[in-house]
Amino acid sequence: MNKITEAFKDKKTFISFLTAGDPSKECTVEYILAMENAGADIIEIGIPFSDPIAEGPVIQDANIRALSKGINTDDIFDLVEDVRKKSSVPLVFLTYINPVFHYGYEKFFKKCHDVGVNGIIIPDLPYEEKGEISKFAKKHCVDIISLIAPTSKDRIRMIAKEATGFIYLVSSMGVTGVRNEITTDLREIIDEIKNVTDVPVAVGFGINTPEQSKKIAKISDGVIVGSAIVKIIEKQGSNAKQYLQEYVTKMKNATKDL
Amino acid sequence: MQKSSIKIKICGLRRVEDAKIVNNYHPDYIGFVFAESKRKISFNDAKKIKESLNENILAVGVFINPSIEDIIHLIKTNTIDIVQLHGDEDEEFIATLKEFDNEVKIIKSIEVKNNEYSIKNVIKKWEDSDVDYLLLDNGKGSGEVFDWRLIGNIKKPFFLAGGIDGENVEYASQFKPFAIDLSSGAEENGFKSSKKIAKIMTKLKEVNNMNNGRYGVYGGRYVPETLMNELINIENQYNLYKNNVEFKNELKKLLNEYAGRPSILYYAENLTKDLGGAKIYLKREDLNHTGSHKINNVLGQVLLAKKMGKTRVIAETGAGQHGVATATVAAFLGMECEIFMGKEDVKRQALNVYRMELLDAKVNIVYSGTRTLKDAVNEAMREWSKRVGDTYYVLGSVMGPHPFPMIVRDFQSVISEEVKEQLFEVESTLPSVVVACVGGGSNAIGSFYSFLDYEEVKLIGCEAGGEGIDTKYHAASITKGEVGIFHGMKSYFCQGKYGQIASVYSISAGLDYPGIGPEHAYLNDIKRVEYVPITDEEAVKAFEYLAKKEGIVCAIESAHAIAKSIKIAKEMKKDEIVVVCLSGRGDKDVESIKNYKIANSN
Repeated sequence: MNKITEAFKDKKTFISFLTAGDPSKECTVEYILAMENAGADIIEIGIPFSDPIAEGPVIQDANIRALSKGINTDDIFDLVEDVRKKSSVPLVFLTYINPVFHYGYEKFFKKCHDVGVNGIIIPDLPYEEKGEISKFAKKHCVDIISLIAPTSKDRIRMIAKEATGFIYLVSSMGVTGVRNEITTDLREIIDEIKNVTDVPVAVGFGINTPEQSKKIAKISDGVIVGSAIVKIIEKQGSNAKQYLQEYVTKMKNATKDL
Repeated sequence: MQKSSIKIKICGLRRVEDAKIVNNYHPDYIGFVFAESKRKISFNDAKKIKESLNENILAVGVFINPSIEDIIHLIKTNTIDIVQLHGDEDEEFIATLKEFDNEVKIIKSIEVKNNEYSIKNVIKKWEDSDVDYLLLDNGKGSGEVFDWRLIGNIKKPFFLAGGIDGENVEYASQFKPFAIDLSSGAEENGFKSSKKIAKIMTKLKEVNNMNNGRYGVYGGRYVPETLMNELINIENQYNLYKNNVEFKNELKKLLNEYAGRPSILYYAENLTKDLGGAKIYLKREDLNHTGSHKINNVLGQVLLAKKMGKTRVIAETGAGQHGVATATVAAFLGMECEIFMGKEDVKRQALNVYRMELLDAKVNIVYSGTRTLKDAVNEAMREWSKRVGDTYYVLGSVMGPHPFPMIVRDFQSVISEEVKEQLFEVESTLPSVVVACVGGGSNAIGSFYSFLDYEEVKLIGCEAGGEGIDTKYHAASITKGEVGIFHGMKSYFCQGKYGQIASVYSISAGLDYPGIGPEHAYLNDIKRVEYVPITDEEAVKAFEYLAKKEGIVCAIESAHAIAKSIKIAKEMKKDEIVVVCLSGRGDKDVESIKNYKIANSN
């Protein structure tokens, strides 16, 4: 079993996201370790992109803040190396296809393997275009995390069949960001996924309260939280460690008492 | 799974060496003919060939009124995987066969006489039966083509057979067969020919790539999963409507009576005389309703949206021309409309904002990123992913994910169709050169498209050179950009060292975009079109020159094309002809050009 799938073993998994370089490289390393200590089972690290079309305003702004400080892909690999000195928590990159394409697929995935990145999520690389990177990702043992959306319908089986690591189930229409309510019939989609694969299913987009976390954990294998965490970092800047720890503990605990 | 790539079957293998030939090209199916025919082979020979065949190629047994026992024998001995029936086998026969082996796939062949009534009836009968595929052929392997236009919409996937070869396979693909069936088209002197198979496989690969929205390596569909089904839906609906006579007539009527087409092809005599070289013709897209070529695409797409049952349209706009065109057609066809426009462009084109609001559209000002066209596209895509159900995204150029580059090109190609006809009427010849400005590239592809096959017609696209391509302030994606993947497509983009999309600049809001449509990227690579940068200064000079000489105030975008034409016409012979696409009118630019002049007068 690979490292990502292992993180789903015998428990509901809590996955937390932050944008690399917001507010600084050092803080990103510190916050990843803090979130792991607080109970995060997998950490998603966002490689900022100038035009993140699947993100809502909160993560868009984090991308701009990070880029305006000059962070680049090489810095982020360095930062992962620093994390790996102290932690073996599964790490997954989240970025857009152009920064990966431009870095060079072979070079990028080799580097992922060398520094210890276990998976990658690319929102603008759907099933049909996966061929861009699948060869390189496989060679360097990086799981491509597939996304399934409320609109996927007859595509669910096709995507699920080839999924690796975990499946990122998008909870709602639109872009990332905090939502008061999630109205999609997730259970139905999860059932369909489970018909064709054993790969675990984690749900993201809009989740921000312990109540939502609990509700989602009940029907899925894991909960993904991004914008709510990025908001804390936006507000607290370089003093966010304690707040992140508190928040992640609260959210993770909610997945436990089912 | 909705995949549009067309499969291929090579029928009538007779020799073991035929297996070796097809193994090299890997068709999806091959066929053994067990019925009376010059290609008939024995069960034993077929088995031998099958043993030499690549295991991923499926073998089809072709029969006329066979016995169930024979078929079962051939399946059990692993000689065939699929059954193709050409005789009087009825539904009872099919049912019996399926009882023996419910996994077996059956192709039922239908002889198509060139008679619409007979085709419709026979197809209808078999459409609702238990067979898996139909096969349409003109007689039992006659090797002759029937009139494919009679096919229409068939519910079952079908093989198309009869007289298909490397020459007509592209045409055949337009009729949406599940697979192409080749026999004599893959033979030379009565035997399977490596050369002929290679040719047709290459051609089909090209066709399939085009179907998946590829232009060489460019294009594709790089969008979030949330949008995928809707894009496939639009592609399918578009393919349905584009050949629908009623839709075509309705669009034609709108183009003629509402937009004012055909637009004039105007002989610019003063310009021609003053420059003393080639004859210059201006294709007056500026005279269309709403003042630019944008209306051609918008009428097509909004009409399609309406047919699809959508009630709301959204669009991005740079200069405001596409926004105004979309707001106009939405008002006219009774659709709700929202336009996304960057804050910078709102400032540059204040009058167009009011114009859109007057047309009852909601204008959303975009404050993210560089606050120009690129960011307006981002925001429109984000909005679309929130509401794909009732909303259609009217993309304004030959860019974005497939099928938009194809749809927009098709709707804009009316420009070159008219030019070709109009010029032939007065000059009895083709143009020597066609020039157009390129941002995303819709008026350019529209101006070039009907001439692509005429190598003697030189095609030139003019990119925004801004303050010069050696400065940071330009939007010359081909001249200075690199290959990348953004806004749903693989193409050329202006970008930084780590693949961050660059902020670009042009005096013209319509060309102020960091990328270019994927078909242009392809046409550049195969050197069919030449792309050149034109600076702000050159464009402004051309803008003034055209106003003074011809009394035409053109859009600053189009002035980029005028500038290039001025340069080349002088050097050309008097009997040569330059056609320039005058994509839009310049009222919107008068104020900013005045400001530019003041700022640059010192």
